[in-house]
Amino acid sequence: MESVTPMDDAEAIARSLEGDLSAYEVLVARYSALAHRTAVLFGARDEAEDVVQEAFVKAFRHLASFRRESEFRPWLLRIVANETHNLTRARGRRAELTVRLSATAEVKAPDDPEGAAVATDRRARLLEAVRALPERERRAVLCRYFLQLSEAETAQVLGWPVGTVKSRTYRGLARLREEAGHELG
Amino acid sequence: MSSDERFDDLEAELRALAGSLDVPAPPPERVAAAVRARLAEPRPARRRRERWRVARWQVARWQVVAAVLVALVAVTAATPQGRQAVTAILRYAGIELRLGGETPAPVPAPAPLPGEREVPAGEVAGQVAFPVRTLTALGEPERVTVSDGGRVVSMFWPDGIRLDQFDGRMEPFFFKRLGAPFPEETEVDGVGGFWLRGSHPLGHITRENGEAVPLRQAGPTLIWQSGEVGHRLEGAPSMARAVELAGSLR
Repeated sequence: MESVTPMDDAEAIARSLEGDLSAYEVLVARYSALAHRTAVLFGARDEAEDVVQEAFVKAFRHLASFRRESEFRPWLLRIVANETHNLTRARGRRAELTVRLSATAEVKAPDDPEGAAVATDRRARLLEAVRALPERERRAVLCRYFLQLSEAETAQVLGWPVGTVKSRTYRGLARLREEAGHELG
Repeated sequence: MSSDERFDDLEAELRALAGSLDVPAPPPERVAAAVRARLAEPRPARRRRERWRVARWQVARWQVVAAVLVALVAVTAATPQGRQAVTAILRYAGIELRLGGETPAPVPAPAPLPGEREVPAGEVAGQVAFPVRTLTALGEPERVTVSDGGRVVSMFWPDGIRLDQFDGRMEPFFFKRLGAPFPEETEVDGVGGFWLRGSHPLGHITRENGEAVPLRQAGPTLIWQSGEVGHRLEGAPSMARAVELAGSLR
């Protein structure tokens, strides 16, 4: 996987288009974790690995339609989001956010155990509030903050105009503040 | 707007929360190797892995579509119950065809596509994610619109001729309800297409939850897919004329 000078996306894509599967492996390895995270956050559950593989296979097949001057990351994540959507739709279930806080995520503050417990509790409540958002607002918030995408990338991944991303993010944030309590933020 | 100062702290808190989520991912090298192995497989074997897909008809599956269609027409002609409910769904070129026995009731009030707006013909290319072409046999369209965040381009000519081009890679976008007569198969530049003779309800499938929203009653339509792009050409007086116009797409 590693070479002396790491290949940038543009070069890896150009070589993949010529049928160089090793170059495509570099891209897959580079974006695999983010793709997996996207699938899980959008509701793929234990089928996330299948979704991600399928998305990468599909992306390879459609690489010729990828516009060179644009970014690979949001283009790929749009495919991942669509695959996840297909899956949840075919399974007849809602795209629920099922992730949990990790066991090691407790806020550590040896000098202030009480404060640390409050902070950990606050995170759990914020996650609950994100879970309870209306789907469109939740998708905007997930892209902007949980996947750390820009507004333009979010627009591309979700297939919405940028103005829609802005307004749904804004409404989501307003609702989170409302739902998660005044001490947040 | 989302970086409204009032939300600075909440935004920071959300980013911190994102870092403490439990999302175990498989090792990237393993995913890369699995994807590579699938790309090296012959394609039919790959298809079988798409377990959750009910039916996704694409150009390569054309013969299967035609066979299903013939079987369907035969079944519906032979059984009385076949004339009633929706008997089959075909998905092709980003269009979902819901075939049923009775001609469905027309859509009473037409609605526009989501986010439809008119754009100057020269500025279309920058606003959509696929190559846009035009019917050279008809010259410049009177009007061009882009809808649904760049997923659909519609061009309009006199006499009710309308061409929709849309991202055919993803889930079906349009749906059509059809009773008899059933669609006829034809060819556009060597690829398969369907000619839908009668007037029929046309709708749009939202990406949010797959909800089907009625749009309007559509006239006779030719549908086909070319590369990644799905096409529907509405308003030609005959199949032969529609195929001829479609052949002038450049």
